[in-house]
Amino acid sequence: MSSTTYKNTKVPILSPLQVSANDAKELEFGTLTDNRYLLKTKSRNGKPLRQPISDAPHYYISVITYLNYLIIIILGHLHDFFETIFFPENFYNVTEHNGYAPWFTKFESFFPRRMKKRIDDCFSRPTSGVPGRFINCIDRISHNLNEYFSFPGTSTLCLNLSSYNYLGFAQSKGRCTEHALESVAEWGPGCLGPRNTCGTTSLHLKTEKLIADFVGKEDAIICSMGYGTNANFFNSILNKRCLVISDELNHTSIRTGVRLSGAAVRAFKHNDMEDLERLIREQIVQGQPKTHRAWQKILICVEGLFSMEGTMCNLPCLVALKKKYKCYLFIDEAHSIGAIGPVGRGVCDYFGVDPNDVDILMGTLTKSFGAAGGYIAGDKTLIDMLRLNLSFSNYAEPSPPPVLAQIYSSMSIIKGDLNPGEGEERLARIAFNSRYLRLGLQRLGFIVYGIADSPVIPLLLYVPSKMPEFSRLMLQRNIAVVVVAYPATPLIESRVRFCVSASLTKEDIDYLLRHIDEVGDMLFLKSSSGKMGGSLDGKPPRWDIEEVIRRTPEDCKDDKYFLI
Amino acid sequence: MSTPPQHSHTHAPVFNFELLHSIVLSFADRLFEESNKIPVFKYIVQYIRKSHQDDPYRTMIELCLIIYGIIYFLAKPKKTRAHNANNLYLSNKETNLLIEEWEPEPLAVPISEDVDKSGAAWRLKSIPKIVKYYNSKPNYVDLQVNGAENTYTNVLNMSSFNFLQLNTHPEVMDAITETIKNYGVGSCGPAGFYGNEDVHYNLEYDLAKFFGTENAVLYGQDFCVAPSVLSTFAKRGDFIVADNQVSVSIQNALSLSRSTVYYYQHNDMDSLESLLIKINEDEKHEPIIHRKFIVTEAVFHNSGDLCPLDKIAELKEKYKFRLFLDETLSLGVLGAHGKGITEHFGFEKTGSVVDIVVGSMANVFGLSGGFVLGDDVMSYFQRIGSNAYCFSASLPPYGAKGCSAILDVLKRDNSTVLNLQKNSRKLHDLFFSTTSILNYFQITSSEYSPIVHLSLTPDFRYSKFGSTLEDIYAKLLKQQETCKQDIEIEEFNKEEFFLQSIANKVLERGNILIARNPHALKHESLPISPSLLVCCSSSMSDEEIVKSFNVIKEVIMEVV
Ligand SMILES: Cc1ncc(COP(=O)(O)O)c(C=O)c1O
Repeated sequence: MSSTTYKNTKVPILSPLQVSANDAKELEFGTLTDNRYLLKTKSRNGKPLRQPISDAPHYYISVITYLNYLIIIILGHLHDFFETIFFPENFYNVTEHNGYAPWFTKFESFFPRRMKKRIDDCFSRPTSGVPGRFINCIDRISHNLNEYFSFPGTSTLCLNLSSYNYLGFAQSKGRCTEHALESVAEWGPGCLGPRNTCGTTSLHLKTEKLIADFVGKEDAIICSMGYGTNANFFNSILNKRCLVISDELNHTSIRTGVRLSGAAVRAFKHNDMEDLERLIREQIVQGQPKTHRAWQKILICVEGLFSMEGTMCNLPCLVALKKKYKCYLFIDEAHSIGAIGPVGRGVCDYFGVDPNDVDILMGTLTKSFGAAGGYIAGDKTLIDMLRLNLSFSNYAEPSPPPVLAQIYSSMSIIKGDLNPGEGEERLARIAFNSRYLRLGLQRLGFIVYGIADSPVIPLLLYVPSKMPEFSRLMLQRNIAVVVVAYPATPLIESRVRFCVSASLTKEDIDYLLRHIDEVGDMLFLKSSSGKMGGSLDGKPPRWDIEEVIRRTPEDCKDDKYFLI
Repeated sequence: MSTPPQHSHTHAPVFNFELLHSIVLSFADRLFEESNKIPVFKYIVQYIRKSHQDDPYRTMIELCLIIYGIIYFLAKPKKTRAHNANNLYLSNKETNLLIEEWEPEPLAVPISEDVDKSGAAWRLKSIPKIVKYYNSKPNYVDLQVNGAENTYTNVLNMSSFNFLQLNTHPEVMDAITETIKNYGVGSCGPAGFYGNEDVHYNLEYDLAKFFGTENAVLYGQDFCVAPSVLSTFAKRGDFIVADNQVSVSIQNALSLSRSTVYYYQHNDMDSLESLLIKINEDEKHEPIIHRKFIVTEAVFHNSGDLCPLDKIAELKEKYKFRLFLDETLSLGVLGAHGKGITEHFGFEKTGSVVDIVVGSMANVFGLSGGFVLGDDVMSYFQRIGSNAYCFSASLPPYGAKGCSAILDVLKRDNSTVLNLQKNSRKLHDLFFSTTSILNYFQITSSEYSPIVHLSLTPDFRYSKFGSTLEDIYAKLLKQQETCKQDIEIEEFNKEEFFLQSIANKVLERGNILIARNPHALKHESLPISPSLLVCCSSSMSDEEIVKSFNVIKEVIMEVV
């Protein structure tokens, strides 16, 4: 790896697109084309989710996947072997020199050097402008197998299925932006110091009140970074005599936070309520290791909507378990708040569960609200204690005014206090779009994970080398997608993740489906058995694309086509 | 081919080698017949047959080994569970009873009102709520304390970390509003997935250029940066030597890093050197070199003094350590051009002495977010391994653009930095030259820092509260060790309450906002000392500084 790999090259700043104001608006948020393409989500009224069914691919796909990894690893090592002999200078940066250990050793850097770098052109694509319905990707030319990139200065508008812009609030026109600009004029663009010295403004308190009201809790506190909210929250309420029972697929931020708190951690199988109950019983009985003293507190940590799986926590069961065993329940609603539920208030809204049955509701403001940061909502006693004890309210910077204004106005729109009707439309559009894309993909024969109403739709690719191919082929078709693999997913479940947005129109999804259909055939991706949906007769679904586009928009509104 | 034998185990109660031998052979035959259909298999079976004929005992032993292996493999999960040493085994009834009996502690205990007993309600009430901010005169705010009971207008803000106030410079404001108009507010994605926009990459480039390093990496919040970066590189087996007065952010970093951590006495180079020597001695016996870091802060959050960078730089070169430096309070403040402590000590470039620099866009630049400066290779791997970078949405684009604009202004015109340094010195001089204050208070901060840290002298603390910092620290550790729900140290609370009463009086009397250095006892694992912060900014006039100093002095003389 020569040093050009690491070089800090300047990415050109693009001037804003030269289009009319109206076109610019369309590029950020497509106008609804027909009222048929709306869907009002219904509350589940406390009905828990059914046992998850998982569709395993044909065994040969697993074999190919493992072989694929094996070949990559063996070739990588061979490559390393010969390179060490003939070009030892290439390893300068990953081996000891002048008495210093390398930043990453040869072993630690094997994965980035031999795997990730090969597909680096699919990651960190620089963009420009608003990450709305379309995203403006800056073109780059890869040299020498992603050794380095150069920038010709042009860009490509791509249909955006990559940003967490669930409700389409990533906009540079409209009420939210106006409010953000006003707040800059009124409050300046930044803050003065940590919350507990002089960083608390009435804007913060107003926004916190709105959030608390929105999620149905007494009080809330905002942090300027979603990751930081989790990473620095648990150490304020937990200590090493507490236990965290955590879903195995929880986000890194939760794991970091729990580790920092020193609490003991036990993981249960993803969404497996029986495993969870077994674990809780076992832990209450066994108590702390060695001393067998009872745990001070047991906190169950789950995510509302799992960002890589599209699955949701089984809230009614969790609440029942938590009440039965007197545990506390923490839900990270990073992806579900705003995007899920009849009125967009997250998993409690979706399941029809009283928010007071959940002790701590955490969420991020980066996603549905198009802002940044995170919040923690809970009882007043809890939040008051947190205001004094959280490390970020004492030592870190608070959220800046434009971000708060964006949160405030987007949340008011969802609630219907601002621009009545607009929030409702956004919610109905994301509900329709999510179901339409999901059912469409299922009918075409793809394996997709997750529940019917999830706006996160992971399409399974399995074989790792299909990942870059899929991403590149989609980019050629002007569609921006995110591909993820190990370590963010289990080893053999490489996938592409579509994040559906309310800003997409039905026609955008048609376009998307056509291209995925084509690419899916090229890459042999249609391997579903129909077990997880999409099939009407129990046979593997392999619908024709035209048929899918003709029938799915109506069908997707009907629960009977999904495993609800 | 021999005919398949008829017997089974029941017919051969005594171990019969011949019998087993024939079973193996016949089994091989069967396999052989079957395997004719599958090409590769045929050769394997042929091989087994052949080797068995040559040396039947060997096959037997191998067979036993394979069977043992299978049994071992299958038995393993049960074994580890049983092994899970001192598990209790209880009947169903007992289990249910235990479960029924278990009562958890409450999630949070309500904060109490009682000041004497370390109740914290007064802390909550004393957090000022800013109700108006003046863009045109950024040193002044309107605020409320005690709920909405007391409102103060036109308060001189001497607790703000926005020292340079360049975030409201017209050029910067233009850049920010322009960016919001073209990019919206949020970036809606992590850096790896379309979240880093052209403005982010450009800021990274600009930061690196400005501060003289090869590369820079942006983060969403300054407090999260150190824990994330340090734990990316300092892994199990690596060594860290840290100052024993580092801030909570770095304490978190140390506890997340999984490395072996040693503390040296605050700014004591002999203590540092002896540790470096010891570690290098210990390491001699190991086959590989480990990553070794010296971790410290440029301007300390807790005391405001500077680290002796020149000496640390020497030691680090000599003993082959890397230097990790938290410059969140010094970039933009120290050095003639605001390039931080390296410029202050006369080094040419940041990158030439320090390996990892943590900076903040929130304090001195008045925006939000943090960044890491360092060489290209470190940055490359940081982008792959640092959690807060990989798993969090990138900074709002307007902030990135705004910071680039601030750097542009600074590059052209360093007068704000020089002014700030003049004011810092002025403010410190006033305090340092007033013996009446120094009888009761000590000033731990350096005159180069725009924050004056006022804390009680040990004697005064002892005479007033009967406590010492060592005492307080011992109590803190004890309470943390015993996992108390809310940590309360009476003496500490009283002292902080005393400091807050000074701040309140200063606000009432002079319309000046000064702050207590906030501490969350739950998170502090190193000795701390309560203190008051008096900050100046570059745009404060001499009169403002002198006037506020006089008010503070008056109040202090009154309460002691
Ligand atoms: C479940 C979960 N929690 C927290 C975060 C972090 O939020 P942010 O991007 O605002 O830092 C994410 C982001 O991906 C997430 O998925």
